[in-house]
Amino acid sequence: MTSIPTLNTERLVMRAPGPQDFEAYVEFRMSDRAVGVGGPFTRSQAFDHMCELLGHWPMRGFGRWMVADKTTDQPLGIVGLMYPESWPEPEIAWSVFADGEGRGIAYEAAMESRRYAYDVLGWDTVISCIVPENTRSIALAKRMGAVQETSFQHEELGELDIWRHLSREVLQ
Amino acid sequence: MSLVPTLETENLILRAPQESDLDAMAAFMQSERSHWIGGPKNRFETWRGLLSILGHWALRGYGLWHIEEKSSGKSIGTVGILKHDGWDEPELGWHVYDGFEGKGYAFEAAFAARAYAAQKFGLDGVISHIDPTNTRSVALAKRLGATYERDGQVLGHACHNYRHPKQADL
Repeated sequence: MTSIPTLNTERLVMRAPGPQDFEAYVEFRMSDRAVGVGGPFTRSQAFDHMCELLGHWPMRGFGRWMVADKTTDQPLGIVGLMYPESWPEPEIAWSVFADGEGRGIAYEAAMESRRYAYDVLGWDTVISCIVPENTRSIALAKRMGAVQETSFQHEELGELDIWRHLSREVLQ
Repeated sequence: MSLVPTLETENLILRAPQESDLDAMAAFMQSERSHWIGGPKNRFETWRGLLSILGHWALRGYGLWHIEEKSSGKSIGTVGILKHDGWDEPELGWHVYDGFEGKGYAFEAAFAARAYAAQKFGLDGVISHIDPTNTRSVALAKRLGATYERDGQVLGHACHNYRHPKQADL
């Protein structure tokens, strides 16, 4: 299988999700914080979603990491790259658990994900798909320099705005 | 070792789920028969299910194989061992898509998966959760030598638990 690489940023470690993260992940998926990503969900659904996170890596060769505190390894969110079937292009996606809120964690991990997409995977461009009501995610996309390009109607998730990140060329 | 081992039987290959399985799986998950396994599901949900099948291997070290018919190369169903959150033990499950029933494929696949699970995963004498109205599955469980053990519940639905014999007792 594609092994899941571990990345380090200033304050965070981005690593493979594992069984030790399950309770924190369930809490997030069952909370109102998961509304922006189609939730809240049941515990049983959260188990499927945890498997789905892991399964994306061998299927696509990239995926989303568990973002944890570099010192304590406490799981703080899910950030990384994903390309679901029916998606227009691969994207950078982020979710932060309640304990990770307000610390710039999503920004730090999303910036590292963008770097990984360009420097390691060799992508030229990347987007983020965001529901129009998710103002916090939109603020983060803007902070990263992304601009809203268009939107598309997803059969399951409804309207999603496509935010285009700064390209590899621009960042070089 | 790769994440998902490949097994070969007389007529079948049991292998990792792959993106090319999505069409066959989505067609099955939109059919009436999918209600045995939590369907119907739309294509996007089915894609997510496909990833989950793969990720279950990473999380548990075992999981579901996709079954390929050797003669045609077609994806014809899934078989393997699952342990969802909260289950007290893993179960052997199977489904074969429309058009591939009645050929003994489910038996062939389940027999091979069960033997492999006992040898390589240390999961011997596993159970199967079966909806008692799913007479085909009940018949297959019996043909595999499994016997009714008790009433149970799986993901909120009543089911019967069938206990498979240990490999040494076959």
